[in-house]
Amino acid sequence: MKALRYSLVLVLVALLALPAAAIYGQETIELQLTWWGSQTRHDKTIAVIEMFEAEHPNIDIIYEFSNFTDYWTLLSTKAASGSLPDVMQHDYAYLAEWALRGQLMPLDDFIADGTIDLSNVAQSVVDSGKIDGQTYGVSLGANSQAFILDVDAFEAAGLELPSPDWTWTEFEEVVTQIHDELGIWGFGTLLDDEALWKSLLIGHGEWAFSDDGTELGYEDDQPMIDHLNMILRLQETGGIPTIEEEIEFDTTGPEGSPLVIGKSAIQYQWSNQVLAVANAAGPERHFKLWHLPRPEGGQSSNYVKPSMFFSIPASAEHPEEAAMFIDFFTNSLEANEILAAERGVPVSAPVRDHLLPNLDPVMAETFDFLVRVEADSSPVPPPDPPGYADLRLNVYGPQFVDVVRFGEMSPEDAVAFFREEANRILAQNK
Amino acid sequence: MSGISIPKQTATIALSQRQKRFLKALLYHVFVGIIGLAMLYPILWMVAASFKESSEIWTNVRALLPETLRFENYTNGWKGIGGITFTTYYKNSFIYAGLGTVFQVAASAIVAYGFARVDFVGKKLWFTLMLATLMLPDQVRMIPQYIVFDRLGWINTFYPLLLPRLGGAPFFIFMIVQFIRGIPTELDEAALIDGCSKSGIFFRIILPQLKPAIITATIFSFYWTWDDFMTPFIYLTRPELHTVSVALRSFSDPASATDWGAIFAMSSLSLLPVFIIFIFFQRYLVEGIATTGLKG
Amino acid sequence: MGGRVASLETASPLDRIRARWFTRKTQYSLSRNNLVGYLFVSPWLIGFFLFSLIPIAASLVLAFTDYDLLGNDIRFIGLENFDRMFTQDLRYWKSVNATLRYVFFAVPLRLTFALGVAMLLNTKRRGVYLYRAAYYTPSIVGGSVAVAVMWRQIFGTDGLVNALFGLDVRWYGDPKYALWTLITLAVWQFGSPMLIFLAGLRQIPNELYEASSIDGANAGQRFLRITLPMLTPIIFFNLVMQTIQNFQQFTQAFVITGGNGRPLDRTLLYPLYLYRRAFVNYEMGYASAMSWVLLLTIAVLTAVLFVSSGRWVFYHGDNR
Repeated sequence: MKALRYSLVLVLVALLALPAAAIYGQETIELQLTWWGSQTRHDKTIAVIEMFEAEHPNIDIIYEFSNFTDYWTLLSTKAASGSLPDVMQHDYAYLAEWALRGQLMPLDDFIADGTIDLSNVAQSVVDSGKIDGQTYGVSLGANSQAFILDVDAFEAAGLELPSPDWTWTEFEEVVTQIHDELGIWGFGTLLDDEALWKSLLIGHGEWAFSDDGTELGYEDDQPMIDHLNMILRLQETGGIPTIEEEIEFDTTGPEGSPLVIGKSAIQYQWSNQVLAVANAAGPERHFKLWHLPRPEGGQSSNYVKPSMFFSIPASAEHPEEAAMFIDFFTNSLEANEILAAERGVPVSAPVRDHLLPNLDPVMAETFDFLVRVEADSSPVPPPDPPGYADLRLNVYGPQFVDVVRFGEMSPEDAVAFFREEANRILAQNK
Repeated sequence: MSGISIPKQTATIALSQRQKRFLKALLYHVFVGIIGLAMLYPILWMVAASFKESSEIWTNVRALLPETLRFENYTNGWKGIGGITFTTYYKNSFIYAGLGTVFQVAASAIVAYGFARVDFVGKKLWFTLMLATLMLPDQVRMIPQYIVFDRLGWINTFYPLLLPRLGGAPFFIFMIVQFIRGIPTELDEAALIDGCSKSGIFFRIILPQLKPAIITATIFSFYWTWDDFMTPFIYLTRPELHTVSVALRSFSDPASATDWGAIFAMSSLSLLPVFIIFIFFQRYLVEGIATTGLKG
Repeated sequence: MGGRVASLETASPLDRIRARWFTRKTQYSLSRNNLVGYLFVSPWLIGFFLFSLIPIAASLVLAFTDYDLLGNDIRFIGLENFDRMFTQDLRYWKSVNATLRYVFFAVPLRLTFALGVAMLLNTKRRGVYLYRAAYYTPSIVGGSVAVAVMWRQIFGTDGLVNALFGLDVRWYGDPKYALWTLITLAVWQFGSPMLIFLAGLRQIPNELYEASSIDGANAGQRFLRITLPMLTPIIFFNLVMQTIQNFQQFTQAFVITGGNGRPLDRTLLYPLYLYRRAFVNYEMGYASAMSWVLLLTIAVLTAVLFVSSGRWVFYHGDNR
């Protein structure tokens, strides 16, 4: 009885106390900003926000952050409710989908009048944020796919590092030799990754999708069949993990990846993630970033792509201030000292030059790698068409490459099935 | 001869009975204890990992004991993100889990009594409907729900988290209904004859007998609320309103560097309040109804 | 009634008490209770109309549209979503398959464990507090990222299970076993049904057991004749709730597998797939349709359980 009366009082007190939690001021402009990342990125970004606020006392930045998966759940919820923030971090894989559905604001006017100053940014990088001729995202860093080579492992196996223009045939030999010599996997996980499928096509001078994004953009399935056959050979001999072994690494992140825990000598990674891998592995290990292999007689499979964007949603309340912030983020030397290229190599040339002298060895290698890639890269392919997420997550992985690697379907049958399904999904863009 | 042997026999019997009881107890403790340890092993590993170097968590997998004790994991972890420490996260979690539990359990008990002991028109319909609301996945309710709360201007307040709880939770309502239906009606009838009202019966007769059920509900409600990620994540988006569960998730990202030592430290620590609540309440659970039973 | 009373005189003390406890009785008229009844259930009713009805109704309407979360125009497309689900979507049936297997194994195993342990821990022996805490602790680790790493440590190739039993199984990657990593996790976290069983066991009056010892019943008979029947309302509750909850298992599965369904969609639980469709592919209309199929499935199963409960659940305090 007494306990009940107590709890009733508690309830009443609680009800009265509730509104106290809801009070927020409204004196200055509140600029809302969201991004995804882990703790390192959160801390760095918040420091830059405070810097920006110090320069603009009338702007109060309200920020929100989360990890990648949760971020998209939250942001699509906000989109459905029409309450997106003023600035949102965006991803290459989703930009077109969001822009074409009217969720994002074209930034061309801000770029033209210099609110977002991109005069020091290469045109190809600016263009990478364009959908149907309008700019919807400002790149926050340059990125490319890389094979991280464990130099020590190569040495232990008595192997020279491959040449920068190595081919897939050479790759297979190297991987097999490492396995034979050291007993570890030559190459870690994700040799069947969809981004490598696209790179494979680039190496053949083609692109995965047609210009209008309504069907696959290539005719010849043989390169993919060959690639799948190589994967089958390698997982048979131990050059790469079998699919059963590989699945275990689905949720580990850089810290638990095969290269870091000493189970493989080569790892496939986007270049802005190399720092995380190197930090996890510790200073006593030596890594080198390497080009993707290319097809026999083909061209470079690497291209430089934005790691992520800042975009301004169409519903933004303060687009002008949002643009100012993006400009600050892109061009401020001090801000980028703090950000330290954690989102990828900065796109502004003066910022890059400013950072260059003080880079730690891993970052220096990343910067250097991007210079090397740029010297011999294929042009940036257009952003992925709408429906790409469906294609990638519901068809490519579960119904195409996994099925082949489990031996349930031959590569020939699988590519035919994939082509059929892909064209069915892409046809919805007509 | 036989006269002498009889007391000997009874002595041995007495001894063996005590031995038997002792053996039985021993058997019980060995059996239950070993399984208990096996149950606990993963958690012991997790707590041990919270003292390990981040890299050791991934490489030194099978080892239970860390090579060196790193308390820094705890101090680093506690610092939180962007100047907001776990002190804030814990405060928010306690508001949500504390009030949320009180609201939910109190309301559930009241509603459950209505469903279990009062016959009214439409009861079956409402009860069925209540259970049906449990069968629709949260994933599709989330968006319309969010839009409603957004229109009300309730984002970044505790309203969307706490107010719905004043209606009780179907799980606990159903659970308490089952317990009430296990309480004999004789007492109700006696009280009714004494001129007691329905609410009088609830407070004086039913509620005291519901102690085990209410305590069980409290333990669960607190834990489920403490552990809840999605609701606070979408409604309390500002970092100063983050709960522990939300903060822990934003520590890690599959594509960037993650301080696993800190995650394990803070994850281990976040079990403590739930564990304490359990230890505290389970005492009452044991003292429960069995002895008072019918005496009321 | 009369026949029963007559037979009571010749029955043993235990039977007499059992008869008293398990007899159904009739009670008061409905009308005078209407106001009181609605007053008691009003918190839930108000909450339902304020907070639940709109989202539920919205999801039902959306199930017949192509609502895509980002776009502004919503078209009614009739039964197209359902047609696509049943006849075109290959992954859909794989997720149904995975879910049914999961529920079929996880629910009975979890309940059996929970009841067994609850019986073991329903004692006044010294140290039982400790055991109770030990057995409940797994259930409070929830679904944080740390759990994913921890579980990997147990079922990974280098993990504890392989080491302990000298096996070399890929628990995560092998299509034959992958689902069992999730089922085992569900069984390991049996704390909530266990605690409910324990509370139920505490509620059984000692009177009944005292009577039975006069009756000379042994432990097995006591379990079958008193404990089990007295516990049926709680068993029923746990069965219904576990069925409902396990069909909707999301968090743990998402954290452990990353939600991708690998290998070969053997771990693609229905809610994981639904979540993907809703929030990664933005097909909220389709996801709503999937939800309502799930709701109907669970509802039918629950209804079967409720109908069957008349045959095996005893409410000794009940008036119906």
